[in-house]
Amino acid sequence: MINSIRILRNEINTPTVNSLYFHWDAMVEPGQFVMVWVPGISEIPMSLSLTGKEKCLTVKKYGDTSNALSKVEPGERIFFRGPYGKPFTRVKGKTLLVGGGSGMASLRPLIDKNASGVVAARSSDELLFKELFAKDRITVATDDGSEGIKGNIVDAMREIELEAFEMIYVCGPERMIKSIVDFVSVRKINMELSLERNMKCGIGICDSCSIDGFQLCTDGPTFNLSTVLTMKEFGRTKLAESGKRIWF
Amino acid sequence: MSISDISTSIGNIHLSNPLILASGILDENGHTMKRILSEGAAAVVTKSIGMEERNGYKPPIVATDDPIFINAVGLPNPGINDVGEEIKIARESGKPIIGSIFGKDENEFIHLAVKMQEYGVSAVELNLSCPHVKGFGSEIGGDPTLVKKIVKGVKGSISIPAWAKLSPNVTNLLDIAIAASDSDALVLINTVRGMKIDIYSGRPVLSNKVGGLSGSSIKPVGIRCVYEVKSNLDIPVIGVGGIESALDAVEYIMAGATAVQIGTALWKYGRAVFSKVSMELVEFMSSEGYEKIEEFRGIALK
Ligand SMILES: Cc1cc2nc3c(=O)[nH]c(=O)nc-3n(C[C@H](O)[C@H](O)[C@H](O)COP(=O)(O)O)c2cc1C
Ligand code: FES
Repeated sequence: MINSIRILRNEINTPTVNSLYFHWDAMVEPGQFVMVWVPGISEIPMSLSLTGKEKCLTVKKYGDTSNALSKVEPGERIFFRGPYGKPFTRVKGKTLLVGGGSGMASLRPLIDKNASGVVAARSSDELLFKELFAKDRITVATDDGSEGIKGNIVDAMREIELEAFEMIYVCGPERMIKSIVDFVSVRKINMELSLERNMKCGIGICDSCSIDGFQLCTDGPTFNLSTVLTMKEFGRTKLAESGKRIWF
Repeated sequence: MSISDISTSIGNIHLSNPLILASGILDENGHTMKRILSEGAAAVVTKSIGMEERNGYKPPIVATDDPIFINAVGLPNPGINDVGEEIKIARESGKPIIGSIFGKDENEFIHLAVKMQEYGVSAVELNLSCPHVKGFGSEIGGDPTLVKKIVKGVKGSISIPAWAKLSPNVTNLLDIAIAASDSDALVLINTVRGMKIDIYSGRPVLSNKVGGLSGSSIKPVGIRCVYEVKSNLDIPVIGVGGIESALDAVEYIMAGATAVQIGTALWKYGRAVFSKVSMELVEFMSSEGYEKIEEFRGIALK
C-alpha cells in the first residue's frame, strides 16, 4: 500500500540536507525505514528521523529523487510505503549515537537524556543534528578541521571510553562503518549498526541489498556487531544494479 | 507409523523436498542462494541471465497491496560472463542450482545454455515467458515455431536437462507446451500481466507501467495450466504460482506437478517459507496416510 501524505513543513538542516515533517498514524520504531516514491523519477529507501506521532524524513540531496524530494513544499504530498526493517534494540542506560554523513538522521529518534553523540562530516556546515545534544555530550570531527577534531569518525571515537555505554548505535555509509568495525573489532561493547545499501524492493525479494545472504531490508538494516563481524562481503564486495559483483 | 518421505526427482535431479526457489526472487547473489539452500530449499533457480549486463528498470519495481503483488524488475542481470562466480558460491551448498536464461533467438539461448553447463549447473531453465521486457519473453514464448527451435537447439547442445518455463499470457497454452515438449520438463507458470495505478498521484506505480502479477492471486491460473498440460502431455511439470503453504503445493502435485517453485511467498514468510512448507507437507501426508508424494501426484487427473 502506498501512503500519500501532505507535509507540514520543510526545514533546511545543512546546505545538502532537508527535513520533511508530517503526521502519519503508524507504529514506527527507531531504525526502521520507508520506500519513498517520487512519481516520474524513482523510489528510494529512507529511515524515519522522527518516530512519534509527528514523523520526519531527513533527505540528503545526492541524486534526482532526493533532490526532487527536498523541494516538496508544505501542503504538497509525499508518497511512501512501509515501515520496513528491524528496529534498533532499546536499552535503559547510557547510549552513544555515532552518525557519519547523513547517518545521524536515523539515530535522531534515539536522542534522549541518556544519549551522547559523535557526529562527523567533511566540514562544519555539514554536521547534522549536533545541536540536538547537550554541549558536554557531543564529540565532533571534520575532515577539514573546521570544527572539532580534525579527522574522521574513528578519530573522534578514540576520545571516548566506549565501554562506559550500555549501547552504541552506529549509522552511516558502509565504508565508514567498516572503519568503525575494524576499530572496535572484538572489544567487549554492545553495538548495533544500521547498514546502507542500494534497495530496489525494500521487502526481501530482489536481492539488491544482500550481504552474506542476509537481506538488509528485512533482516536489517540494523545488525549487532557480532553478526557484522561474521559477514565476509561486508565492506568488501556488493552487487551493482545489474547484479554484477563489484568491489568497494 | 512411518514418517512421510517428501523427496522427489525430476529426471536425474534428486530433491530432498519438492520445493525449489523460483527464478527472480533472491537469486542474484551466490551467498543469498547458498543461505536459502541451507535454510530449507531443495534447489534454486538463478535470476534469468542474458548475453549482456543489464540494469533492469528503475524503481518502483514492485507494486504491492496484499495479496496483490506486481513486479517489473526488467531482467537485471550481470550477463552470462560474470554470473559464473555467483553460481560457484551457490554450488558450495552441494544442492542443485538451476541456471535460468533468456535470449532473443535460439543462438543466444544455445550460447547461454552451454555457458551455464560449464559453470556446473544441474539443469538450465529457459525463460521463454518473461512478460515485461520488450523483445524478450512473451513474444518468444507466444511463438510455437520459435519455441520449438530454441528447445531443440538447446537440447542438441548440452548434456544436462533443459526445462522450458512458459507464460500464461498466451491464447493457446497447449500449442506452446507441445512446441516445448522436447525439453526435459515444463515449468508453469510465469507471472500474469498486470498493472497498478496510484489514485492520489494518478500515475502507474511501476516505472515500466506494466508488470507481472504473482503470488496467491495467480494460483488458480497456475493450477489450471498444470492440469491442462498434464491432461494432454506426458512430460514432467514443475508447478509455480502463488504457493505459500503445503496445501497450495499439494494442489499443484494433485494436478500432476513433480515439484514446485516458490517465489512471492518470501515476501510474507521470508526465507523460512521453505522449512515451513516442508513441515506442513509432512504433517499433511501423515494425517492423510500418504507415505510418498507419488501416491497423490496427478490424482486429480484421473
Ligand atoms: C520480483 C520477481 C522477479 C522475477 N523474475 C523472474 C525471472 O528473472 N525469470 C523468470 O523466469 N521468472 C521470474 N519471475 C517469475 C517467478 O519465477 C514465478 O514464475 C512467478 O512469480 C510465480 O510464482 P510465485 O507466485 O511463487 O512468485 C519473477 C517474479 C518476481 C515476483
Ligand atoms: S531491497 Fe530487495 S531484497 Fe532488499
